[in-house]
Amino acid sequence: MKVLLLRFGELYLKGNNRKIFEGILVKNIEEALNGENFIFKKTFGRYVISNYEENNENILVDKLMKVFGLYSLSRAVEVNADIDEIKNEINKINCLNKSFKIFVKRADKSFPICSMELAKLLGEVVLKNNEGSIVDLYNPEKEIYIDIRLNKKAYVFSEIIKCQGGLPLGSSGQGLLLLSGGIDSPVSGYLIGKRGLKIDALHFHSYPYTSIEAKEKVVELAKKLRSYVGKFKLYVVSFTKVQEAIHMNCSSEYMITIMRRIMMRIAEKICLKNGLGAIITGESLGQVASQTMQSIMVTNNVLDKIPIFRPCIAMDKEDIIKIAESINTFKTSILPYEDCCTVFLPKNPVIRPTIEKAKKEESFLNIEILIQECLDSMEVINID
Amino acid sequence: MIYLDNAATTQMFESAVDVYKKYACEKFFNPSAGYNKSLEITHEINDVRNLIKKILNVKSGDVIFTGGATESNNLAIMGNKRNGKWEYVFSQGEHPSVYNCAKELELQGYKVIIVPLDKNGEIDYNILKTVVNNRTRLISVIHVSNETGIINDLNKINEIRLNYAPNALLHVDGVQAFSKIPLNIEKFNIDFYTLSAHKFHGPKGVGALYVKNIEKLKNIIFGGGQENGYRSGTENVPGIMALKNAIENIDIEKNLELVSRLNDAFKLELKSFDLDNKISFIKAQSPYILSVSFKGVNGETIMRALQDKNIYVGTGSACSSKKLGNRVLESMGFDKNSIKSHIRVSFDYTQNIEEIKFAAKEIYFTYKDLWEKVK
Repeated sequence: MKVLLLRFGELYLKGNNRKIFEGILVKNIEEALNGENFIFKKTFGRYVISNYEENNENILVDKLMKVFGLYSLSRAVEVNADIDEIKNEINKINCLNKSFKIFVKRADKSFPICSMELAKLLGEVVLKNNEGSIVDLYNPEKEIYIDIRLNKKAYVFSEIIKCQGGLPLGSSGQGLLLLSGGIDSPVSGYLIGKRGLKIDALHFHSYPYTSIEAKEKVVELAKKLRSYVGKFKLYVVSFTKVQEAIHMNCSSEYMITIMRRIMMRIAEKICLKNGLGAIITGESLGQVASQTMQSIMVTNNVLDKIPIFRPCIAMDKEDIIKIAESINTFKTSILPYEDCCTVFLPKNPVIRPTIEKAKKEESFLNIEILIQECLDSMEVINID
Repeated sequence: MIYLDNAATTQMFESAVDVYKKYACEKFFNPSAGYNKSLEITHEINDVRNLIKKILNVKSGDVIFTGGATESNNLAIMGNKRNGKWEYVFSQGEHPSVYNCAKELELQGYKVIIVPLDKNGEIDYNILKTVVNNRTRLISVIHVSNETGIINDLNKINEIRLNYAPNALLHVDGVQAFSKIPLNIEKFNIDFYTLSAHKFHGPKGVGALYVKNIEKLKNIIFGGGQENGYRSGTENVPGIMALKNAIENIDIEKNLELVSRLNDAFKLELKSFDLDNKISFIKAQSPYILSVSFKGVNGETIMRALQDKNIYVGTGSACSSKKLGNRVLESMGFDKNSIKSHIRVSFDYTQNIEEIKFAAKEIYFTYKDLWEKVK
């Protein structure tokens, strides 16, 4: 029987929590494969997916490759852990004129033949069936794996497909991603999701200074992210009045600093109201004026209940772009619509702001009212 | 709603919709079918060709129906590719459907020359004179600029062609001119002229290319040989017949006068509020299109703020508004900030002075409000 054999990684590290983590992972797998027909089985250390439509195998593999917490998978054939049945399967392998190596793993120690012996035995079968084949233990052209599990089944396969790794989505709680239209923030959402944090997202727009397309682009990005981080809520806040007020009342070099501080306050309020435990941003150290150490310190200063996670903080732009391409958000991110950070952009934004100066600039604003107006007009879009 | 983006597209006439429906549902026959009903339709389509020639003011030549102006422009340009050391001349003020054909020709290894605009926005005739020669195969210019409403002088261009480029054919993209200003295509020896139905209350997806001497053109689409082999594919009969209806409903001279009044009233009203002179217009010969600049505010922002008041204006060629920059205004010498501050207002004769004045006032106060916030 054709099956997909799934392996999970870091769950092993989690001792007594393992059960909880596994529970979440299994739920996530089933959710990812929602709509497909299949049977899911657990055996110690492996999951087995069977009885699916063979034509859909690639679709299943694609979906599973996006599930955080899965370490790798193989397209395998499941037989009874019986030497003849295994031999029979090995008989079907085409290895003409190729070098090969057989890997045997025997989780079930009651299986009568030890791993080395079995590998030798099966190797002889391959050699006999395939003219020109040769054993090469160091650099084989073909790898043949036999995995004998405690469920008295053996799995025969020739390829291990690497999956996302990380922790099951939701096992670390839930946070709020600040999602702009740029390249970095979707990557941050993906990276933090991989560490098990489920996300909702928050987008600020500045209509009419920014276009409706700019907002639609963010919805598009959210949908792309969804295939990794599951369903989520996208909160959309009009930031126009805040920006106009800052522009009118504050020193222009502090425009972005004050903007970021108000954004964080709004984000924190949404977090507290909705039980979200962290804010995630796409900042990368030194990338722009608002992402210097001092700017980050002045931004962080407005929060005391919620941490900010910045998964991209130490990454080069090139590396961020590589991830953005791999999760298919890059092409959407570079569509040429202005986002709210590019409106009212001062010529010389301050690179080393201070908390005192930021507070003084903010004293010219009625921040509580501005924030309340933002929250009152907030739109919620379900990304499902 | 006040719709001031008529250069992007117009509302289809109800009567044209009725005609469209008639030829979609009742007289739906394929003109190539060979039986009497289809022959009748062939005759009716030929009548539309004659009507178009009448509007163009030409006695001879052919009219090829296409899927729209982009296709007509492609046919005129790409259908003129020839082996040998031929050169192709365009202006910097062309619509993307011409300009990108020029870029494609260049990629394919042809010599392409793009002539800049003068400060008035017309093709720089002095430069044109110097870049054409007896290897010039095609000169392609826009008649009325879709960005500015500025009209290129076809008489001058024809003179230059006759004197300096005897082998050149002349293609004119007349999308913003046909059925809007009086045309005299024969007088200026124009070889190809492009028009599009949806710019004058006809349906989308129908255009035509007038061709003076069909022998000089090669088809770029291959198939069943319709339109004398120059545009294969079953004729868009409902579209062509609806185009005819739209033409018949239009009185060019009368409309031109009406729209001139709208244009004047709009400018006057807008300027009456603009005491500190922050608003300026690009002077243009066609009253149908007006490019307006608002100092210090992004034109796209004004456009979006206006849509919330149910007033619709353009920010330049709708086909290219998503791209940054504006080639046409750049070539006229406007700087980046000034280019960003432009909107395009385009009128229709079905509008009245009151609504235009109301729109002008709304536009001014929308601008003023934004200016106060961003200054």
